[in-house]
Amino acid sequence: MSSTASVLTRNNPHNGKIQSVPIGKIAIWWFLASEMMVFGGLIASYVLLRIHNGGWAGQAAHVRWQLGTLNTAVLLTSSLTMALAVSASRQDKLRRTAVFLGLTVLLGVAFLCVKGVEYTGELREGFTPASGLFWSFYYGMTGLHALHVTGGVVANLTFLVMAVRGDLWTGKQRRLEYAGLYWHFVDVVWIFLFPLLYLS
Amino acid sequence: MVNTGNDDRLYITIWGWLLGLLIAGVLVFTLHLATIPLLVLIFTVAVIKAALVIRNYMHLKAEHVLIYAIAGIPVLLILGMALMLIPDIVFHR
Repeated sequence: MSSTASVLTRNNPHNGKIQSVPIGKIAIWWFLASEMMVFGGLIASYVLLRIHNGGWAGQAAHVRWQLGTLNTAVLLTSSLTMALAVSASRQDKLRRTAVFLGLTVLLGVAFLCVKGVEYTGELREGFTPASGLFWSFYYGMTGLHALHVTGGVVANLTFLVMAVRGDLWTGKQRRLEYAGLYWHFVDVVWIFLFPLLYLS
Repeated sequence: MVNTGNDDRLYITIWGWLLGLLIAGVLVFTLHLATIPLLVLIFTVAVIKAALVIRNYMHLKAEHVLIYAIAGIPVLLILGMALMLIPDIVFHR
């Protein structure tokens, strides 16, 4: 069974008019759906408890929205470079793919470094995960997100090595596309975490 | 999926919009508006940004209905869960 076989193709012998969906794409979207449940549950709990407690504006005022804004710009830019890397791989442009993947990795690492600076400052000011419900959510949600960014960086680094070695082109471009979907999902999660934790 | 140079131009245009919306959201925050208008504006901007990424970078605009179903079900479940919990958590003081 090839990796580009379609579930619809296999299940329906009369599928000539049905658009096929690669198994890998179904798998990565299924995985992202489970991730949506994880982050969606956390975000919904945060919103409900924040409303219940009359808002945590006092605690939220201590987070550095300037660094959060910088990190948002970094992650949005990394989504662009990832999209350009996937686009280059579809055109079999090996060097261009490697360059954009390298930029994506660097931007992912930059995001984690800025987050580290934020954590350091907040911990020095005495705000720990035990300092209150807001800080528990803050460290929980941003920490889980940072773990996902780390996973994405590792995946992208793996594809970067493959691209540099020249062995990304044996039916493996689709894998880079799936890694791209994951990376963009991580970006979308941050798009919601940023206003929830920094701007409200 | 066939790719052309037009896709790259689209990606860069979307990135410009995303950064513009980011700046707009932060500017709204610095205006110190009343809570409700502030939240509505900030989260409207966030939803638009997310939609731009999902539609253009994740190519959902060209996906099969099966992918929409896989991605849509958890969103509905989360919204349903939140709505069911509102009476117990938000209005129970």
